[in-house]
Amino acid sequence: MADVTSSEQRAGQGAKPEIDRNALAIALHKRSRRFGPYFWIPMAWLIVVAIACVFAPFWGLPPADEIDWVYIQSPPVEGHPLGTDNLGRDLLSRIIWGGRVSLTVGFAAPFIGVGLGMILGMAAGYYRGWTDEVIGILIDAWLAIPGLVILLLFSVVFGGSLFMVCVSLGLLFIPTAARITRAATLNYATREFVLAAKAMGASDFRILRKEVFPNIIWPLIAFILIDIPIAIVIEGSLSFLGLSVKAPTPSWGGIIAEGREVLSTFPHIAMYPTIIMFLTVLSFNLVGDAIRRRLADVREGAI
Amino acid sequence: MGEIILDVRNQKTAFITGRGMAQAVDGVSFTLERGKTLGVVGESGSGKSVLSRSIMRLLPSNAVVPSESKVILNGKDLTRMSEGDLRRLRGPEVAIIFQDPMTSLNPVLTIGKQIMEVLTFHMGMKKRDAKVRAVELLKAVGLPQPDVRVDQYPHQLSGGMRQRVAIAIAIACEPDLLIADEPTTALDVTVQAEILDLLQLMVRERNMAMILITHDMGVVAGRCDEVAVMYAGRVVEKAPVRALFHNTRMPYTAALLSSIPKVTDPPHRKLDAIEGRPPDIINPPPGCAFAPRCKFADAGCQAQMPGLEGPGDHQWACFKPLGEEVTA
Repeated sequence: MADVTSSEQRAGQGAKPEIDRNALAIALHKRSRRFGPYFWIPMAWLIVVAIACVFAPFWGLPPADEIDWVYIQSPPVEGHPLGTDNLGRDLLSRIIWGGRVSLTVGFAAPFIGVGLGMILGMAAGYYRGWTDEVIGILIDAWLAIPGLVILLLFSVVFGGSLFMVCVSLGLLFIPTAARITRAATLNYATREFVLAAKAMGASDFRILRKEVFPNIIWPLIAFILIDIPIAIVIEGSLSFLGLSVKAPTPSWGGIIAEGREVLSTFPHIAMYPTIIMFLTVLSFNLVGDAIRRRLADVREGAI
Repeated sequence: MGEIILDVRNQKTAFITGRGMAQAVDGVSFTLERGKTLGVVGESGSGKSVLSRSIMRLLPSNAVVPSESKVILNGKDLTRMSEGDLRRLRGPEVAIIFQDPMTSLNPVLTIGKQIMEVLTFHMGMKKRDAKVRAVELLKAVGLPQPDVRVDQYPHQLSGGMRQRVAIAIAIACEPDLLIADEPTTALDVTVQAEILDLLQLMVRERNMAMILITHDMGVVAGRCDEVAVMYAGRVVEKAPVRALFHNTRMPYTAALLSSIPKVTDPPHRKLDAIEGRPPDIINPPPGCAFAPRCKFADAGCQAQMPGLEGPGDHQWACFKPLGEEVTA
């Protein structure tokens, strides 16, 4: 009798930890798949920046180029929460409007670069042969021209057009994007499901679009995530040098450059845009890292 | 005589390689009628798969096919067709099922999408109709819960289920000719028979013609009307399935048959493997390709290549066919 009860008890005890163990495993699994604070805090910052910039006209701020003669080079006062710059323009307004430039370049340039690079890379990786040769030589030749020369050339020829800043930066992303795409395409173009699609009458374009593209999109998304902060920093450097958008249009790099002249007396003018830009780029890096790591978990081949 | 679906005449396929010309298929001819199944049997490297891709015109760019080779499908010469015409033909007239369903399905698309793709392209179906049809097709190939499975990805299915999906894609456009390239090699033995039965059912229900490529003599035994045995790119024996098993003439076929272990054999009996290796197809021997491994071969066999000859529908390529001594 005693034996029976004890074994029953043991069975009862055994069953309970069993459930707990599974629950624990599920919880651990969920936790390992959850985005932590290093994702959510920077993400929140990016959302704030994005909303501030996208809806810039609705915040009731003074226009970015309006000069307030009463407050010139003023520290934060009522009406100018971040103070004014050396021409008496509202700094917060200028930073928000400048953010529009930075974010536009930050998103447009990688998409232009990866878009064009993807077309070249897919053609090279799928058709091989002379297509591959020609595209390879073109990319090598393109890489032999220093990036700064291209950026300077574009700013001289198209002076100050935001679109052309995006294009010139995008062009710099083409070679890497094309190489990543080519490698990924090579991997998938010889798979049997491509042959199977061909056997069902699919054309080359259809195969590239429906069979290859969904497979190679992941490393490219990871690459775009890396490129966004890089593009923002390069745009910042360009505007600092006065090679990006033209003067009255505010941009982060431009405000920093203007603040540099009075750095010893009014450091806040250069400091605020620098901090904002630093936080934004850091946030893009952290968020990009988290997403990339998640992609690498699901998909082999993501960077 | 039924309607002839496929007429392959003197198909020769060679590949340009670093070591020279590899003659993978060397003068294969056969015809196939509607509703019939042709089994193609041979060792690895005997040219079975290259033959199937030659029929589909799905050869890599280093392949060379001479102009005397003809593949006539439903009266149309595929060798003279443009790539665009071939595309319209692949699917509605000829379809292929590959060996490994793990790799022949796209891992990042749902199986429904992969079936609908074919339906929207060839049959001009609307997306919604295509989905309904996809579920019907999955049901027809015996996939359980087709309405759930249609939205699943290949990795959520077992090997046998995936091969069923591959079959569903292949029959989606009601082809006249179905080529099954070792459809069961990558599957569990328990699933093999199910898939083969399914293929047979599809062929019978839809009145298609099928080429069943395999290296397994047991697979062709019950399921083919005619069998062609390939060796080094050539058909060495072709016969109705009964004649091939009961009245084997070519020593190579006999060797293949005797290499299958029999249930009636005593335990621990050594298997009858065929001695030697298949010949080098880049520098083939001048005579019969099987001569170096053949028990009956003599100097004549080494020097001259036998043609595929024989009375009626049983033909063999051999100077010293089996069973000859008895009759002579």
